[in-house]
Order: sequence, then structure tokens, then C-alpha cells
Amino acid sequence: MRQLLALTAADLLQRVRDKTVVIFALVVPMALMTVFNLVFSATDGLDLAPVTVAISAPAGDDMAQVLTSVVSDLDGTGELDVTVHEVDEAAGRKQVEDGDAAIALLVPTGFGQAAQQGEAVTVEAVRGDEAGIEADIVLSVVDGVLGQFASGAVTVRAALAEGVAPTELAALVEQATSGGPAYDLRQGRAADEQLDSGAALVAGQAGLFLLFTVSFGVTGLLVDRESGTLSRLRSMPIPAWLIIASKALVSFVLGVVATGVLLTLGSYLFDADFGSLPAVAVLVVCATAAGTSVMFLIVRVARSSEQAGIATSIVALVLGIGGGAFFPVSSTGPFTWVLDLNPVAALLRGLGTTSGGGGIADIGVPVAIMLGFGAVMLAVSRLVPDHGVLS
Amino acid sequence: MADVLVVDSLVRRFGDLTAVDGVSFRIAPGETYGLLGPNGAGKTTTISMVAGLMAADAGTVTVAGEAMTPRTTEPKRHVGLVPQELAIYPDLSGRENLALFGRLQGLRGSELKVRVEEVLELIGLADRAKDRSKEYSGGMKRRLNIGIGLLHQPTLLILDEPTVGVDPQSRHAILESVEALSGEGMAVLYTTHYMEEAERLCDRIGIIDSGRLQAEGTRDELIRLIGGVDTIRLGGTGDLAGAAEELRLIPGVERVDTERRAATLTVKDAPALVAQVVGTATSYGVTLFDVEISRPDLESVFLHLTGKGLRD
Repeated sequence: MRQLLALTAADLLQRVRDKTVVIFALVVPMALMTVFNLVFSATDGLDLAPVTVAISAPAGDDMAQVLTSVVSDLDGTGELDVTVHEVDEAAGRKQVEDGDAAIALLVPTGFGQAAQQGEAVTVEAVRGDEAGIEADIVLSVVDGVLGQFASGAVTVRAALAEGVAPTELAALVEQATSGGPAYDLRQGRAADEQLDSGAALVAGQAGLFLLFTVSFGVTGLLVDRESGTLSRLRSMPIPAWLIIASKALVSFVLGVVATGVLLTLGSYLFDADFGSLPAVAVLVVCATAAGTSVMFLIVRVARSSEQAGIATSIVALVLGIGGGAFFPVSSTGPFTWVLDLNPVAALLRGLGTTSGGGGIADIGVPVAIMLGFGAVMLAVSRLVPDHGVLS
Repeated sequence: MADVLVVDSLVRRFGDLTAVDGVSFRIAPGETYGLLGPNGAGKTTTISMVAGLMAADAGTVTVAGEAMTPRTTEPKRHVGLVPQELAIYPDLSGRENLALFGRLQGLRGSELKVRVEEVLELIGLADRAKDRSKEYSGGMKRRLNIGIGLLHQPTLLILDEPTVGVDPQSRHAILESVEALSGEGMAVLYTTHYMEEAERLCDRIGIIDSGRLQAEGTRDELIRLIGGVDTIRLGGTGDLAGAAEELRLIPGVERVDTERRAATLTVKDAPALVAQVVGTATSYGVTLFDVEISRPDLESVFLHLTGKGLRD
């Protein structure tokens, strides 16, 4: 035990003195978090430009006027600045061509009557070249309103088919178009497995760079072999497993410390809340164990420290991106479950649970995934032919 | 006293290549044994098995009476290995390197501290002990590399080509250190492809080539294998042919070959005969301008045994 601690302590001392591990484990991920935070903050604070909408609505058509009113009422809603020009069809087209309006809505004559009688009718939207996201917002709203009108048309057709008297149709249409939806969709927040954008950023980078950080321990065996220190260690009166265990311990300590520091700093700097500290600690420990297990496979496959570095980068990026380190990954298909077995995804999922108020009892699935991943990696590494480092 | 190291019929194969083929030798306490051979002869593979780094396909290694294999730990307490590479940690200081490997050898407490300071003095790094070893010169790193092997006062010190790539000054210091160690009773196994190092340091020498121990013995024993004859070459003017007739009559002179301005004598013991040879030649009116003595060396032995030079 003394020898294990001596070897581990000496290795950790070297890692601290060799700034590479500090750069990879802390500086780079913190820098990326900062950059991503700035980028996504800019997206959150998107400024909408004023938008002019030309509407050609037939005089005396109440439903066409409803459409015009809805668009006019968008002005001042949220960040939208909407100006409506009520024009005839030709003027509407010209304003869009001249760039005086971003979009023209051309409502045909007989629009309201057709809607009430359940007949097909088309509102033409002419979109200008300069139209931006603001015009898209207006179009979405108009599309929604027309959808409601369409539900009225469906009601009319259904009523006629059932033999409802024409005198009662108007009342039915009124009810269908203004009565509001039968079902309400309210935006909510899942109780677990969901991180807000700031926390997802911090957790994603911590998960990704954890895989780089743990490489500094186990793959150090290859560096030791190249420098001759592995031969010297093997000539010492210590069992071979102790050398390997010390490297695994170095990986583990570096991974836990670096991830802990990143999550803590990220919490303060980017306003992320990961919830229960013991539960987060369990997740970090399990993720580090899973990451360390990958290194045992890499050290078996790689013939040199350079190859190990390349393999580590590939594995880290694949698992990191697949696990949602940069952006949420959703997929469909028969192999979707494979993505869920990724330790980075499991870490993010677990941190989502804890940030939503979950405790140790609620993170069983991600913990099981990470530990299972680690066990599988260790088992596979035993099956891969060794190039002399681990034997 | 029992031999510190007994290597018996050691074999190691890498695929179709037999790198070590039935090598056997012994080293007594206080003896320095040299494995002399060119690169690729099997020296490092042999040492790897002796130090317990590599398993043998056949044969045995016994260190201080205990069988050495990669999985055994007890015999390794008796061994100090100085690998060919600079097996030190560059981000640790000289003192930290020594302390780490001392702990791994089982030293601790005051014993460890005392030994670390003693070795630092011995290898001349006491004043640079706190500096990281990556800041050391090549020679200083070599000395630290050797110091780590000496730290726990092993019964058997194994040095694998410790002077490769070393400047002449550091090389001289290393050779002096090794000479001092054998004087202290430590058994030393020293591999080299430098003939002069083997001649200077080793009590006995094993000549290894193509994985086989071609011959072993003291320097003189090895030289006797090829007949053990010296040559005296005389360069001069005058009656060299007449002098040659008289020179052939000197006891110990086996053969005299003459050229126009030179004569080459094959003799048993050149240093003992040179004065008589020079006197005889000058008494015949030969004016000598050059006298050169050549004795057979290990290079000659190697050439004789293998048909190639040590640096081929």
C-alpha cells in the first residue's frame, strides 16, 4: 500500500508540474465554456428588427378584418415592432417588390363567405427578399389564424353533411373559430433529465474533457515504457498490478478533481445549479471510473503514447458529441438506445436529474450505465491482444 | 561463497528469431562480469530476463539463491538495474527520483533519507539535488540513472550499456564509479559493445553474438584462445634482411617477415622481448625510425570467434 501511494503521489506531482494536464483538464474546458456561453447568450438576446406588412383585405369582409387586426395587434407583443399597411392587391405586391414591406398578405374577395360555407379559399403571402425572422413570425401567426378559420370550414361541411339548417351555420362557425382550442398545450419543465442551457454547457464540457483528463494516468504507462522507467519499475520488488493500479488511481484522482473543479467553477460563473452535492459526487465518481476504463482499452490497442493520444482524442470526441457535450443529441431508429449507453450522456442525464431536485436514489439508471460501461470496457480490454504494457 | 547470479541455459525466442540461445554464466560476489557483443547480439534480452522483466522460454535465472521470473518480487530486492535508457522522471528532482525508487525498493524513514543523501554525494549531484532532472546535463542524468540502481545497495548491479551516448568526461566518471563498486563487494553484470570498457572493468567477459555465448573467461584466457601472439614491427634502413636471420634466433621469436624498409616479428611476449630485438637490429647496422608493438585484444578475439568486428 505504501508503494502504491508513493508511486501515485509521485505521478500526480509530475502531472501537476507538467502543465499539460492543467491546460487540458481545466484551462481549455473553461475557455470553451466561456466562448460557448458568450455565443449562446448572444442568441438568447436576439434583437428583432421592425417589420412592415402590407395587407390587402376586401372591404366589408369581417373575417378578413379579423386577420388584419391580429397582425396589427402583434405590434408591441414581446420584441416585435409591426407596421401594417392596408392596401389593395397590386399595391401590396409593389411594396414587397420595392422593399417597402417585408411581406404582403393578399386576402381574396369572398374570403369570409367562403370560410363560413366551408369552401376552399387561399390567402396569398408574398415574401420579400429582405424578409427575416420577423416576417417568419408574422407568417406563423397568420398561419395559426387561418388554421382556426379552417376548423370553422370543417365544422360547416360536417354540419351540412348532418343536415343542420343553414340558419344555424353561422353560430357554429363562430363557436369553432372563436371558442378556443379544446386542448391546451402549456410549456412546462420536466422533473428530471433536463439541464438548462447554462448547466448543459458546463456539464457537457466537463464530461468531454473528463475523457482527456483521465488519459494522463493510464496512458502514462506507454510514456514510461518509451522512457525506460517502466522497465525500471518492473525490476523493483513490487507486483506488476501495483504499477497498473497506480496509473489507474492517477487517472481517477485527476478525473474526479478536474470534473469537480469544472462543475464548481461552472456553477459560479455560468449560473448553473446541479443540485444535491452527494448525488453529483456519485455521478462524477462513476463517470471518472467509466472514463478510466476506456483508457485501459486504448493502452492495449496503442503501440505508442502518440497513438494513444490520437485514440483518446477520437474516443473523447465521439463519446462527447454523441453524449451531447456540445448540443443535445436526439435520434430515432433501432439503435437509439446505443447513445443512451454513452457515459457522457449518462453523466448529463444524471446531472439533469440532480438539477431538477433529484437525489442519489433518483440517479440509479445513469449510475448503472456508467458502471456497466466501465465493466464492459475492462472486460473488452482483457480480450484485446496486449503490446506489452499491461502484461 | 555462493554465486550471486546463476544463468543456466537461457533461451528466448521472438517468433522465428531466437534472440537468446542457451546462454549460461555465473557471477561471484564482488566480481564484474562483462557481456561483450555488438548491437543485436542478445545482451539486452539476456539482461531483461536476468532482471525479471521478461520471461524465458527455457532455462533459469537464480539471483542470490532465488529463482527470478517476471512474477517474483523477492529476488528483485537483490538487484539494481540501470537500463540503457535514461529511466528517470524528468519532472521530479534528483532527490525526488531517488526517494521514489528507494521507497519502491522498500527503504523508508531515516534509512531512506541517509541513502538518498549518500548516493547524491556519490554521483556528484548533491548541489543540484533540488533541481528537476530535466534540467540536468546528459552526463548528470546518466549519473542519476546509475545512482537509482545503487540506492538500495543491491547484491547484483546490472548495467546495460551505461555509457552509450555519453561524453568522454562523463564516461570516465561512470567507469570509475563501476570500478569502485566492484571494490566494495558488489557483483556487477555489465553489457557493452566497447571492447576497452570490457577490458578495463571486467574480471571475466562473456563474448555474445547471435544470441549465443561464444566464449567466456578473463581477458588473458580469451586472448589465449586465438594463440596469444604479439607482433613487433621495426621500421628502418640498413641490413634488415641480415638482421632478420639473427632475430629469428632469439628465444620467443616465432617468425620474422621482412619488407624493403620494415620487419615484422611474431613473438610470444612483445614487452619482454622488445629491448633485445631493438638491440640485435641496431647491432647489425640497422637505423631504426619506428618500433611498434601490437598485442591481441578482445576485438581480435571477437573477430576470431565470429568472423566479424564488434561494431559491424
